[in-house]
Amino acid sequence: MQGFPGPLPDLAQLQSTMVAIERACSLIQMHMNPAEAEKIINPLRQSSMPYQTCRFILENSEVPNARFQAAGAIGDAAIREWGMLTNENRKSLILFCLHYVMEHASAADAYVQLKVSAVAAQLVKRGWFDFIEAEKIGILIEVKQAILGFQGSDMQSAGISFLESLVSEFSPGTSTGMGLPKDYHEQCHSSMELNYLKEFYCWAKSAALNVADKIVSCYANISEEKVCSRALRFMFQVLNWNFKSSPSALDNSSSKSNSGSFGIRPDMGLLKKFERSLLEPGPLWHDALLSSGHMLWLLNFYAIVRQKHSSDMLWFDSPLAVSARQLIVQLCSLTGTIFPSDDGEMHIKHLTQILSAVIEWVEPPNIISGALRSGRSESEMIDGFHALLSMATLTSTMLFDNLLRSLRPFGTIHLLATLTCEVVQTYVIKNDDEQTWSSEALDIMLEIWTVILGRSGNDMKISAEGISSASNLFSTIVESHLKAAAESAFEDDSEADYFHVSVSRRDETLYAYALIARAAVETTVPFLTRLFSERFALLSQNNERMDPTQTLEELYWLLLITGHVLTDSGEGETVLVPEAIQDGFSGVTEELQHPVIVLSWSIISFAKQSLDPKMRNAYFSPRLMEAVIWFLARWVDTYLMPIDAAKGQLGISGHDEGLQQHPQSSKKVLLSFAGQHSQGETILDTIIRISMTTLTSYPGENELQALTCWKLLVVLVRRRHVCIHLVALESWRDLARAFANERTLFSLNARLQRSLAETLVCAASSFKDLETSNQYVRDLMGPMTAYLVDISSRNDLKAVAQQADAIYMVSCLLERLRGASRATQPRTQKSIFEMGCAVMNSLLTLLELYKNQGEVAFLSAKETSILVNFCLQLLRIYSSHNIGKISLSLSTSLQSEAQTEKYKDLRALLQLLTNICSKDLVDFSSFSNDAESTDIAEVIYVGLHIVTPLISLELLKYPKLSCDYFALISHLLEVYPEKVAQLNKEAFDHIVRTLDFGVCHQDVDIVDKCLRAVNALASYHYKEKIAGKEGLGAKALSSEESNGEFQQSILSYFLRLLIQLLLYQDFRMELAGSAADALFPLVLCEQDLYQRLVQEILEKQSNPAIKTRLASAFYALTSTNQLSSSLDRNNRFRFRKNLQVFLIEVSGFMRII
Amino acid sequence: MSDEEHHFDSKADAGASKTYPQQAGTIRKNGYIVIKGRACKVVEVSTSKTGKHGHAKCHFVGIDIFNNKKLEDIVPSSHNCDVPHVTRTDYQLIDISEDGFLSLLTENGNTKDDLKLPTDETLLAQIKDGFAEGKDLVVTVMSAMGEEQICALKDIGPK
Repeated sequence: MQGFPGPLPDLAQLQSTMVAIERACSLIQMHMNPAEAEKIINPLRQSSMPYQTCRFILENSEVPNARFQAAGAIGDAAIREWGMLTNENRKSLILFCLHYVMEHASAADAYVQLKVSAVAAQLVKRGWFDFIEAEKIGILIEVKQAILGFQGSDMQSAGISFLESLVSEFSPGTSTGMGLPKDYHEQCHSSMELNYLKEFYCWAKSAALNVADKIVSCYANISEEKVCSRALRFMFQVLNWNFKSSPSALDNSSSKSNSGSFGIRPDMGLLKKFERSLLEPGPLWHDALLSSGHMLWLLNFYAIVRQKHSSDMLWFDSPLAVSARQLIVQLCSLTGTIFPSDDGEMHIKHLTQILSAVIEWVEPPNIISGALRSGRSESEMIDGFHALLSMATLTSTMLFDNLLRSLRPFGTIHLLATLTCEVVQTYVIKNDDEQTWSSEALDIMLEIWTVILGRSGNDMKISAEGISSASNLFSTIVESHLKAAAESAFEDDSEADYFHVSVSRRDETLYAYALIARAAVETTVPFLTRLFSERFALLSQNNERMDPTQTLEELYWLLLITGHVLTDSGEGETVLVPEAIQDGFSGVTEELQHPVIVLSWSIISFAKQSLDPKMRNAYFSPRLMEAVIWFLARWVDTYLMPIDAAKGQLGISGHDEGLQQHPQSSKKVLLSFAGQHSQGETILDTIIRISMTTLTSYPGENELQALTCWKLLVVLVRRRHVCIHLVALESWRDLARAFANERTLFSLNARLQRSLAETLVCAASSFKDLETSNQYVRDLMGPMTAYLVDISSRNDLKAVAQQADAIYMVSCLLERLRGASRATQPRTQKSIFEMGCAVMNSLLTLLELYKNQGEVAFLSAKETSILVNFCLQLLRIYSSHNIGKISLSLSTSLQSEAQTEKYKDLRALLQLLTNICSKDLVDFSSFSNDAESTDIAEVIYVGLHIVTPLISLELLKYPKLSCDYFALISHLLEVYPEKVAQLNKEAFDHIVRTLDFGVCHQDVDIVDKCLRAVNALASYHYKEKIAGKEGLGAKALSSEESNGEFQQSILSYFLRLLIQLLLYQDFRMELAGSAADALFPLVLCEQDLYQRLVQEILEKQSNPAIKTRLASAFYALTSTNQLSSSLDRNNRFRFRKNLQVFLIEVSGFMRII
Repeated sequence: MSDEEHHFDSKADAGASKTYPQQAGTIRKNGYIVIKGRACKVVEVSTSKTGKHGHAKCHFVGIDIFNNKKLEDIVPSSHNCDVPHVTRTDYQLIDISEDGFLSLLTENGNTKDDLKLPTDETLLAQIKDGFAEGKDLVVTVMSAMGEEQICALKDIGPK
């Protein structure tokens, strides 16, 4: 072949290499001595110009693995030596690979062919901008010939598989890095999209058309079927392309504005859940996908083939069926400017067309699910659901419902409801492993419901038929789940972490159910009330002879679903009463008739029963109580003294004045029944007493108590106007008193005590009078501090402190203090600070004492850091003083600690310092109080002196610690280089040593931080020197040490190190930016050394070709792009660019052995 | 807080009590617990329920702090468990006798001669070697439930 690169070795040598490689490959295959085998194979990959050898192996070897390795070696070597190959060489390599694939299209061991074609694709991409257009076409024309089927179906398959590799090489997600910057990949991506992608699609389409007739008339052979399914699969792959050129971002606004008129809505990202995306190829694709009747052909083709195989249960999973369906589903999510602007007419037609085909896959639901139970594959039905999901995403709820009406006497929502009923019923039975499809199907179904019902305003309007379908569906859901709950009531709750793992998943399901219920509130809320009262009545009539467990489990489930229906979770947002519930029940004006109020009351009075010890012991199991608490937390947040009612203005201000009287008044009733002037206070009182009960009468039930502390009580103090009522209640005062003065609450988990303290202190903000708030906090926390002071000043402290009960007590108290300090607000800062001051000394004593008790010591270190942070935030005047003291005393205890505790404490200390640093920045921006800020810098300076000797290279191997440490160092160097310059020699050397260690670290993050630190150091020195100051002074200069050894200056040391890294090691491109930033000031500081280094490197290079390239690359690095010798932003940016070019040019061949 | 104080004082006076009752639900990983009469460090806690609507139980896995044997226990989380008082005391090492007993200097200047060399081999080697090299060694003695053992070693030699 012409232009094939590399010298041709003699035949004997080729033979012997091939035999060696073959032997190595068989060694690997038998898992014998893989290291030895790699030693033989690696040189082939890394040697210079191995092409002839590889070619020889590919053409002659009998061992498929050896051929595979040879193909890989061609790819590796060519990418590496790309710059040294001539255009002729490159092309001949690609053509060689292509021809190889074509010629061996029918050979066994397809993975070798795949590898070769992947290598060809890689090389094509590497040379994408080196070849002129005609050259590219010359290569691709051969592929086209093959695909169109002039040379037989094996060649077709080979051609398609080359295109597959090519397209996946050009998609950013699946491409190989090849040591090229991101820009390059992006340019390739858009060039491919603009010039070739559609053409490729059409080639595959004609390949599919070619064989389709034969398949339909049933005399296609296996390889022709394979061609068809591969072509369809490739088309699917093309349609998964991440289209960039379509101007959807631009006319988003315009399409949104007419979405109301015809019902097509551009909804991005909603399909993400199932890893699918919307397809927006833009108007260029119109002829390929829409106007050519392509869709109709595809649908018909699938329908006919399906008909032919209707008795074959396995056919649904055959490659042909799967890829055809995938393509159909993908085409379903087609949207954007590919459709002309004709009010969505064409788009709607497109969707209806697909729906008419897809409906065969899912209807009638009961027959389909029956077939699935008897062993048919579920894949077709699932694909049908996916298609429905795409439609639901792209259309308004009304349009979605209407899509089906031209084909059936009912709407799409009705169909959806029947399907969901079927799926839910199968799902809750779950009696064997074969029905796993139901959970996937339910997921998709609920996602569709969430999509169509989770919208607001005009996009979500449902017909009366839709509402009644939803209502029926909800009844089915609740009844099947209740049945399942009753059946599972006696199962052991074996999953201990059930609560944490699956709870979010379960919530998601329940949320979707709730949306369905809210679509038909008029019927579903009374339905829930009825179910709840029935079970409640069952319990109260029960005369202790019957085991209530089943009813308890049913109630548990009912509480969960009711909670979801009545309230939103409102993570991080102000919770409002759900719109559907506000706007529903338009006829109701009486409080006692409002279904939501009736339901709420029946649950609250049920919860109240738990206050009665007899009832509690008999019926309120911990699990049921968890549901009660969870429900109350959400209910309180939504309905108790709601904000709208509190402000005295009803509804949202945007509502029209002209609305009817009725909905307004029913809303008013709903919002005010638990308001401030109504029963709100009584309910609040009940809820506090219930919380007290869970905290004291359910000993050891951690989950229940955690719910109470973290969910319910937190919600109570969240809103100030609720707090005002709260602190006036006797029950709340009881709780506070119990917390401050009694032992009972010490039996709670320590972390819960922390949160309890936080909650109680939080409530202080509601007092009108500043002094009362502070007094309240003092009453609450006084006993804690008094006790701590007392214990730390005991004479026999040493002996007592080691006793288990004392340790427990102290850690509980510290947790409480932590909680309280977290709840600090401006109006209570005085008392909190008193608290902090009071315990400061005792904390230090305790810290000394507990140096051997890892847990407590760590806790208090954390506690102090939090406290210190608060001090900093609130009372800057005192801050620096306190920190200095704490840092010093911490370190004395540190020095004697064991390795692990040291590690933990160091982390805490480092975080403390970093926090102080960042706090300090805040100070700078708000107050420019010079005296104070220097103080803080001083503290950091002292702190650094303490920390540096403690950090050893050993310790830096702990990833978290080293991460914190380098974050601190790089931050410090950037912000206070002058402080660092003043460090004594030992400490400074230490920092430099650790930086040296860090630069060679594995973790990209750490290397990045180190490079930033070096950058800061060098920039500082350079700037100072220009300004005529000392800069790093003696530290930056080379010096003669006393023992006569020549000591390199640190800057030149780093310069040498960085260049070494960039040139000879496997440098990661993502670090190129920060490396450039660090290198630039270094080069500026040490001009002479840099020139010397370059000379050295050039002289070492023996190959003259490489030498000249290297020299010009070095020249370009410092001389192009108008680089000047100042350190401003523009210059840095230019240098970044230069370095990137330099790396692409050079890094490949510097690593050749 | 007054009754706490009271409780606390009585503990200090009694002194002889080797354990302290604590609710099972509040014992955390890395704490101590008595399992089958042995003082253990808790290495694993998990909770489970007796049936869905039953009460919580705690399942503890502990390592005996003296002989490193693994022990397990299941306790209803509302019940109390015994938590051992584990103390650590530092003594300076004066001498190692030939029968394997150590001579230690207590804080008030007396000697304590009833402790044997530890069985842990690395620690044993460190003590012997360090002592042979004439280093100033401080040993940490861990004691709980009437048992004592050397658990750590420190070189406080001249800097």
